[in-house]
Amino acid sequence: MARAVTTRRKAVNTAIAWTIGLLIFFPILWTFLTSFKTEAEAISSPPAFLFFDWTLENYGAVQERSNYFRHFMNSVVISIGSTVIGLIIAVPAAWAMAFVPGRQTRNVLMWMLSTKMLPPVGVLVPIYLIFRDFGLLDTRTGLVIVLTLINLPIIVWMLYTYFREIPGEILEAARMDGASLRNEIIHVLTPMAVPGIASTLLLNVILAWNEAFWTLNLTAANAAPLTAFIASYSSPEGLFYAKLSAASTMAIAPILIIGWFSQKQLVRGLTFGAVK
Amino acid sequence: MGRIVLNGVRKAFGEVEVIPPLDLTIEDGEFVVFVGPSGCGKSTLLRLIAGLEDVTGGEISIDGRDATELPPAKRGLAMVFQSYALYPHMSVRKNIAFPMRMAGLPEGEQKRRIEAAAKALNLTDYLDRRPGQLSGGQRQRVAIGRAIVREPSAFLFDEPLSNLDAALRVGMRMEIGELHKSLATTMVYVTHDQVEAMTMADKIVVLRAGRIEQVGTPLELYRTPHNLFVAGFIGSPTMNLIGGAEAERHGARTIGVRPEHIASGSPDGAPWVGTVGLSEHLGSDTFLYVHGTGLAETVTVRADGEVPLRHGDRVGLTPNPDRIHRFDAEGSRL
Amino acid sequence: MATQHSRAAARLMISPAVVVLLLWMIVPLALTLYFSTLRYNLLMPGANPFVGLENYRYFFTDPAFTTALVNTLLLVGGVLVITVGGGIALALLLDQEMFGQGIVRLLVIAPFFVMPTVSALVWKNMFMDPVNGLFGYIARAFGAQPFEWLTAAPLFSIILIVSWQWLPFATLILLTAIQSLSSEQLEAAEMDGAGFGSKFLWIILPHLARAITVVILIQTIFLLSIFAEILVTTGGGPGVASTNLTYLVYIQSLLQFDVGLGSAGGVVAIVLANIVAIFLMRMIGKNLDA
Repeated sequence: MARAVTTRRKAVNTAIAWTIGLLIFFPILWTFLTSFKTEAEAISSPPAFLFFDWTLENYGAVQERSNYFRHFMNSVVISIGSTVIGLIIAVPAAWAMAFVPGRQTRNVLMWMLSTKMLPPVGVLVPIYLIFRDFGLLDTRTGLVIVLTLINLPIIVWMLYTYFREIPGEILEAARMDGASLRNEIIHVLTPMAVPGIASTLLLNVILAWNEAFWTLNLTAANAAPLTAFIASYSSPEGLFYAKLSAASTMAIAPILIIGWFSQKQLVRGLTFGAVK
Repeated sequence: MGRIVLNGVRKAFGEVEVIPPLDLTIEDGEFVVFVGPSGCGKSTLLRLIAGLEDVTGGEISIDGRDATELPPAKRGLAMVFQSYALYPHMSVRKNIAFPMRMAGLPEGEQKRRIEAAAKALNLTDYLDRRPGQLSGGQRQRVAIGRAIVREPSAFLFDEPLSNLDAALRVGMRMEIGELHKSLATTMVYVTHDQVEAMTMADKIVVLRAGRIEQVGTPLELYRTPHNLFVAGFIGSPTMNLIGGAEAERHGARTIGVRPEHIASGSPDGAPWVGTVGLSEHLGSDTFLYVHGTGLAETVTVRADGEVPLRHGDRVGLTPNPDRIHRFDAEGSRL
Repeated sequence: MATQHSRAAARLMISPAVVVLLLWMIVPLALTLYFSTLRYNLLMPGANPFVGLENYRYFFTDPAFTTALVNTLLLVGGVLVITVGGGIALALLLDQEMFGQGIVRLLVIAPFFVMPTVSALVWKNMFMDPVNGLFGYIARAFGAQPFEWLTAAPLFSIILIVSWQWLPFATLILLTAIQSLSSEQLEAAEMDGAGFGSKFLWIILPHLARAITVVILIQTIFLLSIFAEILVTTGGGPGVASTNLTYLVYIQSLLQFDVGLGSAGGVVAIVLANIVAIFLMRMIGKNLDA
């Protein structure tokens, strides 16, 4: 909808949009700034915006207080682990459904989507008991299993919509050109599928990193990823705003950056291809 | 080299028979065009020859060898697709090299053929670009280049010009024609555009509903269409088809006269008389659409370029008696 | 072109995904249904006798259930109104020509990437806390009494926090949809004499209808299961003032260890979600054919 508008109009748009954008972003910015304050400055009145003594001490304190790094690594292992395993299961499935569609393909896809509709709380009790009996409570393995399963439908769907966009004529051209099935996969299909697989991977790392139902209910001190670890800051003891901010900044920064890079794919992934 | 023989070839998708048993011989070095309205089975027929679809019955032989069960790559054919089907992640050079890489040709030979093809197709400056950076016409040439380097016994074209604009289409039509002259390789070309068929073909195969309606040179089809369908399909503007008493006077159910075989003149003494509805002045020719003749809704006439007739003028029409086509009740030529 | 052979291979490739999802769906679902008919409390070991629908009777007659159900609906409805309304406005705004459009877009979508526990804690402590929060400071600066957000209006506060998290999602999807509207259509409307109001009402809004439906349905699925935000801000309180269905089941099963009752609540949550799911599946199913 690019239309020529007057500079004046453009300036007004710019002012309004930036104001609203900054307001929406402000809590994140404020958290970031607070993480460099001392605890006293963090709650000072009037609040210090930029003019305070910048310090990195909170970042050290967060690590000393409760081994932050361990929980950070839990988040990394759990989100990447569940995504990679999910991809290993989903790539062949999405592939087959996109390129060798059968009469049941549509039903299978819809059924997979329906599993995503199952509210987690509906199966909380049995999963909790099964995990207890199998010794999976508070383990990374347990969380990887659960997050793989809850995100598998999204992974299959995203891949399916990407694979379906690879035109059939290209595969036929490859066959006319004498490519064996193996060469077809290595030289033609894979390079064309890689961008779709990469966006799927990114989106699912984001979703798994921020998952906060199962991580809170199935972990304790040992396997808690950052979602669950940060929740321990909710106990209202003492002055801890600066440390909360430091812990939060580190927890959201990596995913915020990944998210910014994959914003286009986000729409498609989260709407199961219904909006592109 | 590139003689393709179809013997009783049949194709059905489930219950639906899209191509009833069909025989056709394509001679070596011929430029054969399959033409027909959309859904007539022409693309399916091409894909059967390519091996992209399995035949339901019958045999296909290429160079005297039974190719019915051969996979596409083993048939020695090259195909140019409607969407060009270039590999978007490969440069032009790699696209053209791909079939040779698959065949395991030595590097030096690959290079030589790529350069020859690029030169012939004016692609030398674009070899390191990606397909996405090329115009439609250039992509088309890359697709042709990819076909040439395989040195196939026959080329298959599936509506290759339908994604190009009109001016480019005329240019590419000539390029493909010249390519055929210089390579002297069999070409099988599918189109729904009868102008493409008429201008390019050595032999035209007119298809309708999977059946061959007529096979012949462009002029044979023009001069002696076997039935009403071919008569109406070949030629532009289309032939005037006239029924009723006028047809019976010629001992036929329907008669057909091409616009260029009707002379226009004074209404006095002319066998057909009508009123000019619309006249299209193209400079070299004028097309008159004449109403109220009592023969058909509109009779189209090709007249001289500078004929002074206007909307509403009375005009007399005289068909060339040697060029009247007569058809029976089944639509077959008498 | 699919041959018998490739069909068999395809089935083999699909089966792992189908099998694990089938297990994930059937086993816990069957257990939840089974547990919901037992008197089964982890604090009271021994036999777990079959009690039929007794757990459901308890669950439905518990006054907390009605509150939780109403809270669930208010939470979902409130967040939907704010995010869809705000999302349309923001999408329209972001679609205008301006300087630094890409950066504004990044600022607006950022909250979506913040994990729920972080956003809830940041809002709770650094903004809504009456003593140390920024809102309290602003109130005092204007000479007003700071508002006790999380005790005086706990559900509303949670609605605000969750809306902040989901506004970017709605904006991003609606913006994508707006950008797919052809400018020729708008120009044609302008030629026909439509002002901004009628263009919005007759051209833009109908064009967005499908995207709005998708936003509503997908958000509803997620909003029905809001949990972390409640856990770290109000703990469902004061009393059960901010307890939703998900949180109620959590209290019953993992805090009171009543497996039977919790399972019955779980079944109710599943039924509720399914009502929404049916609509969503129809929408997305249609897209498959398109």
